[in-house]
Amino acid sequence: MATSSKSDKLVNDNPPSDSESDDSRDEEGWNDVEEDEEETPEVISLLDDRVFPDVISMLAHCKEKHRFDFLGVRQRLQLDFHGCVKLVNFIRQRVHEGLPVSEDISLADIRDDAYLKPVLDDDAVIIGLYDLPELPPPEAILAAQSSDNAALVSDLLKRNTELQEQLASVMLQHENYRAAVSKTLDERWGEAGADDNAKQVTNKGKGKDGVEEKEDESKYYWESYAGVDIHETMLKDTVRTDAYRDFIYNNKHLFTGKTVLDIGCGTGILSMFCARAGASRVLAVDASDIIFKARENIYRAGLSDTITTLHGKMEEVTLPVDQVDIIVSEWMGYCLLFEAMLPSVLYARDKYLAPGGLMVPSHTNMWVAPVSDPVWVSENGETFWADVYGFDMGAMAKGIYDEVRVLHWPGDKVCGTPSAFKMLDLYTTTVADLSFTAPYASRLTQDVDAVDGFLIWFDTFFSPTAPSSTPQRTSEGQEVDAASVDKHSVPDDAVATEWILDNKGKRDQDRVAFTTGPFGGAETHWKQGLLLCDPHLGEKKGGQNVAADGNSSIDTKQQQKKKDDDVRGEITFSVAEDNARALVIKATWDSGRTQQKWALR
Amino acid sequence: MASDKMDVEVAEKKLTDMAHSEQHYFNSYNHHGIHEEMLKDEVRTRSYMNAIVQNKHLFKDKVVLDVGCGTAILSMFAVKAGAKHVIGVDMSTIIFKAKEIVKVNGMEDKITLIQGKMEEIELPFPKVDIIISEWMGYFLLYESMLDTVLYARDKYLAKDGLIFPDKATIFLCGIEDGDYKDEKIGFWDNVYGFDYSPLKATALSEPLVDTVEVKAAVTDPSSVITLDLYTCTTADLAFSIPFSLKCRRDDFVHALVAWFDIDFTACHKPIRFSTGPHTKYTHWKQTVFYLQEVLTVQQEEEITCTLVVKPNDKNRRDLDIQIDYKLETQDPTRQAQGSCTYKMC
Repeated sequence: MATSSKSDKLVNDNPPSDSESDDSRDEEGWNDVEEDEEETPEVISLLDDRVFPDVISMLAHCKEKHRFDFLGVRQRLQLDFHGCVKLVNFIRQRVHEGLPVSEDISLADIRDDAYLKPVLDDDAVIIGLYDLPELPPPEAILAAQSSDNAALVSDLLKRNTELQEQLASVMLQHENYRAAVSKTLDERWGEAGADDNAKQVTNKGKGKDGVEEKEDESKYYWESYAGVDIHETMLKDTVRTDAYRDFIYNNKHLFTGKTVLDIGCGTGILSMFCARAGASRVLAVDASDIIFKARENIYRAGLSDTITTLHGKMEEVTLPVDQVDIIVSEWMGYCLLFEAMLPSVLYARDKYLAPGGLMVPSHTNMWVAPVSDPVWVSENGETFWADVYGFDMGAMAKGIYDEVRVLHWPGDKVCGTPSAFKMLDLYTTTVADLSFTAPYASRLTQDVDAVDGFLIWFDTFFSPTAPSSTPQRTSEGQEVDAASVDKHSVPDDAVATEWILDNKGKRDQDRVAFTTGPFGGAETHWKQGLLLCDPHLGEKKGGQNVAADGNSSIDTKQQQKKKDDDVRGEITFSVAEDNARALVIKATWDSGRTQQKWALR
Repeated sequence: MASDKMDVEVAEKKLTDMAHSEQHYFNSYNHHGIHEEMLKDEVRTRSYMNAIVQNKHLFKDKVVLDVGCGTAILSMFAVKAGAKHVIGVDMSTIIFKAKEIVKVNGMEDKITLIQGKMEEIELPFPKVDIIISEWMGYFLLYESMLDTVLYARDKYLAKDGLIFPDKATIFLCGIEDGDYKDEKIGFWDNVYGFDYSPLKATALSEPLVDTVEVKAAVTDPSSVITLDLYTCTTADLAFSIPFSLKCRRDDFVHALVAWFDIDFTACHKPIRFSTGPHTKYTHWKQTVFYLQEVLTVQQEEEITCTLVVKPNDKNRRDLDIQIDYKLETQDPTRQAQGSCTYKMC
């Protein structure tokens, strides 16, 4: 009940005559009611410094100059007096904090009773709220027509039309919301059949675009269920989410008034970052049903007018615009390219990105380094299966060297210098570039009995500068870019943790980059990819894993390596022939004499 | 782990009409990685090993049925304990690995492995003397194979036959878990400045499988139900049972945590293992049920509760769980009563 007594007091609280009054004015205020009636209060604009004789003219000013229709918001939210008081203080508080104020304020925004407390001492607007016309139900307008005040009538009619439009828009949003909620509930609790096949909708990787298209009612059920977990993991990956947030919020000037496309929007977090950063329009595309949750989140953030969600594949949805100024996407997968949506992003770039438009992120760099950890190998390699409670379970180890293992690998078990092997400039990269062979070269940092495998990770860079001219996706194009090198360019061997520093070694706030590697400190949900070397490579003949000369067996002594030894070879990325979603990584080492393939499925 | 039992079950269903490349996938190393986790769960595997291998007098010359045999480790323990013959049944493709393993270990004469559903296959023996099975899922019953074990018991277990294990008990306890509740549930209130509460309701209704520290326990544990595998029926797997939690100290209660103990009472020296917070880690961890409100309790007070569990009507693999709670106190401001529903799916 404390709340209501507090607001009662506010209602009766009139401004004292002296604006310099001391802290005890609240008590005095109780007695000032009669005396101050004659004094014209100064009505300070909600959105700037201008002063008006009354609230009506001030609100008209806000509507005209700032496109903020206070009465429209009041009508939309059906605010009573207390609601209006909160709305006023909410706006004042935001203005005070230098935050933008938009018309899509929601009831949730002003729910906090703290907003009953005036932000501005003796705010004349709050007293002036009494002077506002009643919330106009349609009958009130009809009644008003017979009144003498023709100007007021036409004003009210005009306002009524506007409000009806707003109402229609809100109703539409509400309908969408209801539809989404109803669909969610129906399908979650009602339609989820006992069809076990639904379980096949895997959530391996990211469950974003690559979800199998199977018209199975329970598909949604499982997918949406699994989705929450995945998205929780991604949102709580602060390395990832902070990077996007920092880039977007630190570069509001890049987003203000711009049209942004968010590919694979998930829960809508990046779209909302962009909207809060001032984007005039955000198109959020996702093929997964998590988009229904995104829609609810966006609605609750009051950003439904700015963000349009589109459910479908990037290649299939119809955007309501021909061009976008910025493409934002968190498309990266395990080992960067597994089940990744990069081809969709490149498709959208070529189709929609305006000349000079911005790619967020702008670059990625892939790294490889040799690893050695005999203890881990004995506990997790084939030796584990050789003796399980006294039984030989070697059969379980079959294929153990054929697949990439996704795991967190400790930095101190990396035995050589990391080598950058593939920089992708997202302004120029093509789908063809995503299958490649590239050299790497590492130098061992310690003596090892054997290089047990190779670790793969990637860095992601957010450059605030788009290439100066229309992106030229030719080899000449790179030279053009090189000629206009600016401080935000990303060199081929860029290291995320170093690139974000300026030339004095200090953190440059304009630059955002993060690594998924083992030396970056915080772990990410991408972990790293381990390519475990098959110690029997030299023994096999005729198989696919065979030393290049085909008949030399490699004994243990040959595997021993010393600090400062070079480990060189090539890394090949390709899409598996039998499964378009799988990634096949090939590595060669011993100067190309030995090679092995791993699949990531 | 039980959840994988489902995955591989689905895999097996698909296997029949699957392209060669996909078969390769389901036989791939990572696909069966879950068995690595189970085998590396020492509490689980060692308890079974001890229960079987240390009771040769029970297994000698007996016919044994291993329900959901996986990699056949329990089948091989039974052979080591002197079993005349072991039949391992599993509907997952893991059984192909199990066949290789059994062969490599020279037990192919002693172990018959059958892929398929217990309800659909023919056993080479009309009756078995002993049923062994590691059927437990999260919260004991989630995606568990207990109904299959009971089916096998009713159809195949000889009179006076033995079941390993034969007793399972679910415990619940109230815990102080403010920080983690904040992290898991409160997280959705403010995600980078945005209201994600549409995902909060989902989070609250999902029991959380995770480890709980024993010091978090605010109440004594209460054993809620003990399933006797010799006598229980599938109907017993849906239940509504009152219990009470006695508070050990003045604290908050944010959640109830559930775990289970498993007993092999047929053993010469009874063997028991627990999946509770007070003992060694197992891959079952514990299951946390967050309450919508926070209870403020004082030492010696009791929270009276009812645990309602039943398989979901639409999908029998899912569990519908309800926890009713009531805290009666002298101090009226701390009185609390409520009912929370959860779904494990």
